Amino acid sequence: MAIEGIDLIKAAAYLGAGVAMGLGAIGPGVGEGMVGAKACEAIGRNPQQAALLTRTMLVGQAVSESTGIYSLVIALLLLFVV
Amino acid sequence: MDELGKIYQLIVPVGGVNLAFNLNVILMTWIVILLLIVFGYLSARHRSLLPGPMQAMGELFVTQFYTLTEDALGEKLAKTYGPLICALFMFLLLSNWIGIIPHLSEPTMDLNTPLSLGLMGFVLAHYAGIRAKGVKNYIRAYFEPIFFMMPLNLIGEIAKVVSISFRLFGNIMGGSIIILVVSYLTYSLVLPPFLNAFFGLFIGTIQAFVFTMLTIVYIAVQVE
Repeated sequence: MAIEGIDLIKAAAYLGAGVAMGLGAIGPGVGEGMVGAKACEAIGRNPQQAALLTRTMLVGQAVSESTGIYSLVIALLLLFVV
Repeated sequence: MDELGKIYQLIVPVGGVNLAFNLNVILMTWIVILLLIVFGYLSARHRSLLPGPMQAMGELFVTQFYTLTEDALGEKLAKTYGPLICALFMFLLLSNWIGIIPHLSEPTMDLNTPLSLGLMGFVLAHYAGIRAKGVKNYIRAYFEPIFFMMPLNLIGEIAKVVSISFRLFGNIMGGSIIILVVSYLTYSLVLPPFLNAFFGLFIGTIQAFVFTMLTIVYIAVQVE
């Protein structure tokens, strides 16, 4: 069974999907960790505002997560469309 | 694993253009809308000073999101946009939660639903901005720091729609794919209920809330 061009394209697409997801998950991981750490500090300093801080933290984390979601979409495109 | 990436479509040719309807998504959206109408009917049927359980839940939604809108937009605009924000949150919450019932799938799993909701928020924010500031000040806001920043500001506005809709779509789609793959690997034995609880209930709630909050924030940015 010879390896044809279409097989190479499939292999490259799968490899690209894995690399895109792996590299793209670094940034959101670091960012969400930093947001969570700062929110913990703020709640420890000011426990009355815990509800507001938790809400703001969740919104901030979800926004910083969006680059990871972009890489997920790219990976899905590479897996199912190419 | 066979159902991964499969879409049931009804293709109607109209004048040389093929219109594709995703039947599953339309059906699920209608189920969500009907459930919301039933919830609204039940919670407002016997209005009394001492609220029953359904009325208490409805009041909780309305007061929470009205306060949230009032904090961001002020009292006058909150009267206009509060009901929309509350309805948007309830629709998204039920859409994200309906996937935990077997044989039903989230309507937000298809890109069309988040994208149309995001476009709705975009149009609404710009309409509110034009009404609040006037056309001249609205256009001037694009040339804000210096005049050649205009293309960047335009791209920034369009990127808001893309980011808000792809965030919701990616989270729900990624969660359902993970549930499907893990169920296939473990023969649906132990893990899938916990994964359903995490991705369906927890992530679904957070993403519905974030979508609603960002819509409020986009309106507030345009209005100020």
